[in-house]
Amino acid sequence: MNNNLNTKSLVACKQCDALYDKPHLKQGQIAKCNRCGSILIERKIDSINRSFYWSLAGLIFMLPAILLPIMGVTLAGQFHQASLFDCIIVLIERGFFMIASLMFLFAIAVPIVRLSGALYLAYSFKFNRLKPSLLNFFRAYHHLDHWAMLNVFMLGIVVSMYKLTDDTELSVNLGLLAFIFWLICSTMSAVALDQDYIWDKLEEAFANEEKNDANR
Amino acid sequence: MRTAKDNKLVLCPKCHKLNEFKSEPQQCTRCHGHFYSRQHNSLQYTLAWNIAALIAFIPANLYPIMIVYRLGIGTEATILSGIGEFIDHSLYPIAVIIFTASIIVPLFKIIGLFILVYKAHTGIRLKPSKNSKFYRVLEFLGPWSMLDVFVVALMVAVVELGFITSVAAGPAINYFTLTVIFTMLAANSFDPRLLWDKHIEDKQVHIK
Repeated sequence: MNNNLNTKSLVACKQCDALYDKPHLKQGQIAKCNRCGSILIERKIDSINRSFYWSLAGLIFMLPAILLPIMGVTLAGQFHQASLFDCIIVLIERGFFMIASLMFLFAIAVPIVRLSGALYLAYSFKFNRLKPSLLNFFRAYHHLDHWAMLNVFMLGIVVSMYKLTDDTELSVNLGLLAFIFWLICSTMSAVALDQDYIWDKLEEAFANEEKNDANR
Repeated sequence: MRTAKDNKLVLCPKCHKLNEFKSEPQQCTRCHGHFYSRQHNSLQYTLAWNIAALIAFIPANLYPIMIVYRLGIGTEATILSGIGEFIDHSLYPIAVIIFTASIIVPLFKIIGLFILVYKAHTGIRLKPSKNSKFYRVLEFLGPWSMLDVFVVALMVAVVELGFITSVAAGPAINYFTLTVIFTMLAANSFDPRLLWDKHIEDKQVHIK
């Protein structure tokens, strides 16, 4: 029992393993590691509400961003436009299955799963419906941390627009606007989610249950 | 400086909960995930992914990445010749962005990780604070190399005007994607705490 208290009042750096007494932070404060400078704990302002609304907004922009055409070209009287989804269809038609599936993962599936995951977490906290399955859920959520590439795709759009204006007539469509909003919403919902807070709360909520399990 | 390892504590990599060290691998008391006190065989995995990335990087540069058809005549472009074309058309900002994302960043990542693995293993010229900052830069840069793949995919989908002009992707795009994925996996499997462990270990040897 003594040891259990011990681990709760301490915090270790993820990057260099330095051990500190856990600082008490107010909302909006950040604790950084003295040795390597990476962030130890961060208490985010109004985290649950913010990530709830940002991810809700993100899910609204999701469908138009994927299905509406992003841009089109006109050359010699002919016009053609494509959406994010068309990119993947075309790649499959041309036989680039690996690229098509990876693009689907990085630019569509992972962002959607992350957004709906954040929404589900924020929803359960906002309306106080914590379930033990959330522990597994949030752990799985962390696997996707590095693999959302909407921002890279955005730069890709900018580069190819620049490329195309050189020798064709380029027209921008509503899809681009929706995509930009989707990018902003999903970035903000990921930024707003306070992981330490969520883990601490989940632990508090299910600590008693585990003790009972152990006693049995 | 106290470390978690000295105090027989281990940090769960997923939920960042401090656990008492029991066995390896062990289960986190909070999220029930299984983990090792340091990433398991971190240096070996990093090295292996890195070599795979380096191998995939060769065909990625030799094969054409994009084939542009104008009036039925196709011109193939590799990554480097594509950049040359931008410079010919005096589109310098794009040339710089593409060159950075598809040549400099992957090479920088591969070489950088080789150096980090070497340093963490031998402890030669190890400056952990600098090196771990360097590692964080490498980790951040990872996904940005996918830029060229996305650009080609967009071009293929958008420029589809039948006989007049169309764009097809070349085989290099597969290898290039593999390079990017492998470097990301390499960076993910590297554990920066090994740099600090080695640093402390070397210091203690010195004192003795």
